[in-house]
Amino acid sequence: MENTSQVPVTVLTGFLGAGKTTLLNRILTEQHGRKYAVIVNEFGEQGIDNDLVVDADEEVFEMNNGCICCTVRGDLIRILSGLMKRADKLDAIIVETTGLADPAPVAQTFFVDQDVADRTKLDAIVTVADAVHLSSQLVDHHEAEEQIAFADVILLNKVELVGDNDIVKVNDRIRKINPFAKIIKTTRCDAPLDEIVGLNAFSLDRVLDIEPDFLESDHDHEHDDDVTSLSFVSDTPLDMDKFQDWFGNLLRTKGQDILRSKGILNFKGEEERYVFQGVHMLMDASPMGPWPKGKDRSSRVVFIGRDLDNMNLKEGFDNCKSA
Amino acid sequence: MNADLEKLQESNKTELERRGSIFNIGAPATEAVTIRDQIAVGFGDGTVRFFQSGSDPKTVKAHKGVVLSMTNYEDHVLTGGDDGRFLKISSNGNIDEIFNFGSKWVDCVASHKDTKVCSSGKTVYIWTKNKDKPQTLEHQSTVAGLAFDNKGKRLAVSRYGGVTVWKLNNNKWTASNFTWKGSHGTVTFSPDTKYIVTAMQENQIHGWRINDKADLAMRGYPSKIKSFTWVGDTPYLVTSGSSDAVCWPFDGKEGPMGRKPIVVANGGKELATFVKALNGEKAVFTGFTDGSVLLAEIDESKKPIMIRSSTGSEVSTIAISSDNSQILIGDMKGSILLSSLWADN
Repeated sequence: MENTSQVPVTVLTGFLGAGKTTLLNRILTEQHGRKYAVIVNEFGEQGIDNDLVVDADEEVFEMNNGCICCTVRGDLIRILSGLMKRADKLDAIIVETTGLADPAPVAQTFFVDQDVADRTKLDAIVTVADAVHLSSQLVDHHEAEEQIAFADVILLNKVELVGDNDIVKVNDRIRKINPFAKIIKTTRCDAPLDEIVGLNAFSLDRVLDIEPDFLESDHDHEHDDDVTSLSFVSDTPLDMDKFQDWFGNLLRTKGQDILRSKGILNFKGEEERYVFQGVHMLMDASPMGPWPKGKDRSSRVVFIGRDLDNMNLKEGFDNCKSA
Repeated sequence: MNADLEKLQESNKTELERRGSIFNIGAPATEAVTIRDQIAVGFGDGTVRFFQSGSDPKTVKAHKGVVLSMTNYEDHVLTGGDDGRFLKISSNGNIDEIFNFGSKWVDCVASHKDTKVCSSGKTVYIWTKNKDKPQTLEHQSTVAGLAFDNKGKRLAVSRYGGVTVWKLNNNKWTASNFTWKGSHGTVTFSPDTKYIVTAMQENQIHGWRINDKADLAMRGYPSKIKSFTWVGDTPYLVTSGSSDAVCWPFDGKEGPMGRKPIVVANGGKELATFVKALNGEKAVFTGFTDGSVLLAEIDESKKPIMIRSSTGSEVSTIAISSDNSQILIGDMKGSILLSSLWADN
């Protein structure tokens, strides 16, 4: 549910050496006139423009709720609830994760913990990527793939060190993993802060921004544990019961390999659009008002994950079409 | 709001609200403890204020950010803040900095007689009388709760995966681990020190019988349990987290094992956020998400009494003066009600 008093939280990920610290330094030293709290791991700097720096250890806890991939950031629950007791209001909270971190536990914390969800909201996952080294990091480290897969915004940094052809290549490589993230090419992370903080990317109504032309499902990949994306479009209305059965079962059984999912759904007999977005097994879904007049009522779903080819996704989705 | 409604609400004020004083501090009340005839309250603006019937509160600027934790210590309070300071504060405003952890928060504090304890990160620091340097106890994850038993011989430390109970023998602390999957927060010993109980990250509380480490899982709550209190001689462990105060019996050999809790003080669609025993009575004060507070006997056939009406902000702390004459109720908006509990007071 949307609640204007919720403080937006931006999660900052990025592989070692990509330029995360440069970006944090910018956030802490620029005169932005807002009050941010920055949750960091062992960071030497102090805030200048009235910002608050909080030291944290990344503590990933399994939830005791029978959901095997449901891990959360225990330290984040504690720190966010502490920050919410402050007398002064924060404009935003920025959470830095270590270079090798999987972004899922951070994102899942906002789905699982009611206190966190009541008072804060996940704004966006921003990933800083090193234009020079990203391609080799994607081969060697699954964490780098996950950070690209989860991102809402990717700062493709150090572009000044890479030729135009290589930028196109690395851009294509990112697109194959994550078709929606906004890619901003930067030198020393010099993107305007308002393209990084305050994006509302996890708001369900942002799912509506998924353009049909994003959804070109061509994918050829090298090996099975690569993170890729798949998407499907249907102009035939879907059967709600069939979809819920299929999708619920899919997340339950394959949720570990599905990193993110999003969709806009046109159910037979329903006037409203349904949207959802998920992180692994956890999902947020809601009706989102009537379809715009004069536009196609097409259902669109997107999956980002590993081993998507072996989930019979196309068949499963097609079976949900109403007869 | 129209005038009629305002009038109606005025007449709907409780007896305690009419005879008490209301202070609007403007920052969330985070903790409250009783020191003799005063009640000290920590706030989200870093102040500690000492409330006493018949006078204005004395304000001490203690921490830069939030007062995260507080306990009483002789005639003082100990506080931990998000400014990394562990402080000893007297009601006349003297502040003694025991330790400064810099950018690390002081999440939990505890005391027993002349022993002062705090946690920051995964470490517990213990200062004993006449010693400048603290003893330290290390844990595998961040400490989320501290509690001494009534003799001060054992210190329970909750963390991810369970509780470590440290026992003091010949000035040395030895650890015993109580394990249960999940993240454990606030911790308490039963008054007879036979049980330890924690509030978990999931919507449940977990207990262990100390002598055989038998597990007690107390589930079925619709929200996280933020507060519990021991009530009466039975005793009952009364908890928040539901639309009622949920009272688990800890008498007999088995305690609450295989038994149902008693539920009192129904808040309708509001959830209980804070509970506090009325000393010496089989009765509990229950504060709710809307700011209202009920006083109920641990008896499902008795009707609760409305102590404070709705303020629109969840009750975050309740304290009773040591002579049982005054009650203080604080909420997340920083509204404080201080009132005498008895009409002839």
